[in-house]
Amino acid sequence: MSDIYIVCVEDEPQVLDVVIRDLAKLEDVFPIEVAHSADEARELIKEIKEEGNKIGLAICDHIMPGDKGVDLMIEMQKDPFTEHTRKVLLTGQAGLEETIEAVNKAKLNRYIAKPWKPQQIVEVAVDELTTYVIEQEKELLQYMAVLDQERLQEAIRSKGYV
Amino acid sequence: MPIKKQKQVNLKTFTGLSLGLLGFLLPLFFQFDGLSYAGHIALGIFLMAAVFWMFETIPIYSTSMLVIFLQITLLSQQGLLYSETQLPEAAPVHQSGNEWLVPAGAIQDGKVLVIQDARKYKPLEVNVLETGEMTRVESADISTDTRLVADTRHKLVGYTPPGFSVFFGTLANPIIILFLGGFMLAGASVKYNLDKNLTNVLLKPFGQKPMFIILGLMIVTATLSAFMSNTATTAMMMTVAIPIAVQVSKEDKFRIILALSIPIAANIGGMATPIGTPPNAIVIANLAQQGINIAFGSWVSLMLPLTVLLLFIAWTTMRILYPPTLESFKLSLKGSFDKSLKAKILYALFGLTVLLWFTEAQHGIPSSMVAFLPIVGLTVTSVMKQEDIRSLPWEVLWLVAGGIALGISMENTGLAMWLVSSISWDAFPQLLLLLVFGFVALMLSNFLSNTVTATLLIPLAVSMGTSGIAGEGFSLVITSLVIGSACNMAMLLPISTPPNAIAMSTGFIKTPDMVKVGIIIGLVGIVAVLVLSQLYWPLIMN
Repeated sequence: MSDIYIVCVEDEPQVLDVVIRDLAKLEDVFPIEVAHSADEARELIKEIKEEGNKIGLAICDHIMPGDKGVDLMIEMQKDPFTEHTRKVLLTGQAGLEETIEAVNKAKLNRYIAKPWKPQQIVEVAVDELTTYVIEQEKELLQYMAVLDQERLQEAIRSKGYV
Repeated sequence: MPIKKQKQVNLKTFTGLSLGLLGFLLPLFFQFDGLSYAGHIALGIFLMAAVFWMFETIPIYSTSMLVIFLQITLLSQQGLLYSETQLPEAAPVHQSGNEWLVPAGAIQDGKVLVIQDARKYKPLEVNVLETGEMTRVESADISTDTRLVADTRHKLVGYTPPGFSVFFGTLANPIIILFLGGFMLAGASVKYNLDKNLTNVLLKPFGQKPMFIILGLMIVTATLSAFMSNTATTAMMMTVAIPIAVQVSKEDKFRIILALSIPIAANIGGMATPIGTPPNAIVIANLAQQGINIAFGSWVSLMLPLTVLLLFIAWTTMRILYPPTLESFKLSLKGSFDKSLKAKILYALFGLTVLLWFTEAQHGIPSSMVAFLPIVGLTVTSVMKQEDIRSLPWEVLWLVAGGIALGISMENTGLAMWLVSSISWDAFPQLLLLLVFGFVALMLSNFLSNTVTATLLIPLAVSMGTSGIAGEGFSLVITSLVIGSACNMAMLLPISTPPNAIAMSTGFIKTPDMVKVGIIIGLVGIVAVLVLSQLYWPLIMN
């Protein structure tokens, strides 16, 4: 049984704290890991991969020292290990061009503009993780308590098994 | 934490694997009196399958596949053990008059076995005069041409190996085709949202009072699960129940009823028709092998009163245990019937198939033949396409086929008979016998798959019936029905059935809630089954 991780990449510690606090209710089922730069994120992804776990959701800032968030996401999209990871861009400063690039090349799933409301980021995370487990996982029951129950039940109905 | 979990899983797998192999090998090292050579092999397969099914060492459907594999390799006419085998011959030596000398190994319980061809023999009773290495016997039916089986423990004694196709054939058993027909209808219903839309229509008359909505949910769930898989029905009904639960405050016990009523109704509803749930298939297939055919309509008339009764008991129990505080609330029923041509073809075929199933007494076409109508009809018209057919639960068919195949070997090797003959059953009153069978089935099935429980128990009942060992008044049909019903009434724990697991995962209920209601349904259910078995079922069958 491998775990499905949520990875947050953000250079400002205060913002990172807020994101983690907002997502706390998911942590029992989806362990959260953080990175402060794209390089740290690469290390983290490698570690998660080596432990035999998966990454269900990546929430990523754009403007960071070193490589930008969009570049990291494009990289993740090309890597088969993180190809199916749901990708959320959390930023106040990405320009139109970079955003278009993120959508086209990184298959960006969501864009959250700063500042955001706590409820908003939870909703996005729940929605994206629900999509991830329906597409990628066989055993859905264990996620019922924290994710979108209606969509999970619907998926079980159409698959016809638990 | 994940590492610890991993270790537990490994330990469980290891225990299952070693016990299973031990079970398989045990009969090779021990000689059991009164059990044929083939019976020993069948016992090994039976023990291994039982362990693997219980521990789920490998997926339960693959245990079924393994059973069939072992049967074709070990127990079939063309398999490793029997392909070259002939009965060992011995010629009796003439003494005087009707007296003959035969090898001691050729005598068993005062009988010799006269060879008819390489694999067949006929027992002949003789008068044993003097035992020794060569035994002196007396019989008027032995001549110098007579050839006797030299060793009565030979593997062909007590067993005529069937061709391998008999074991493969279980996958095309009429009951499997009946289920396939049911799967096609259910799959197409999900594809065209017939199940959801029917639910919306059927729920409307139940108004806005909480307990009536629950009653409505239960009746609709039971009705759908009588034709569809219990699991898919539960998941679908949960999509109806979850929006209701969200309206209710977290402390309100109504959430418990809401989440409990659906899996319970789905489990109970499965009993109502032959295609409702796989244990029914095991019952029907085993009876069919004894030449007892139960028509679709007769099954329903046997089981429907029990279904209705259990639904009512469950509803009342929950009403008492968790009285709702809400006065009324609105049920938002959205959706409308698909009116495309393909959907209409589905509606027509569904209606026609069910109609033909229920009117077998009038037209005489067996239900599994009728089941081929939706199989052909839905594919010819492309209502069900390649990808839809691929997504049918084929593994359930393998599971049932393996169960039927195991039943065949338990019967024809004499294993089932040997297992039940160790107890003198005729000392038991019939009702007590039914109670024991029902209770064992209920207990086992709370922990094992319902289908597996039926697979392990029904062949025992069948051999008690065919051997006459159970004494006066034993009815094979009634005993099988009791076991089948008891398997479906097991809903004590989240692991008892997939619908229970679904309900548990919502977080609206805790295990004790499920256990409380489950115990009542199980115990009252067993009593109800026994009452029906004495008063109602005999009426229907005659």
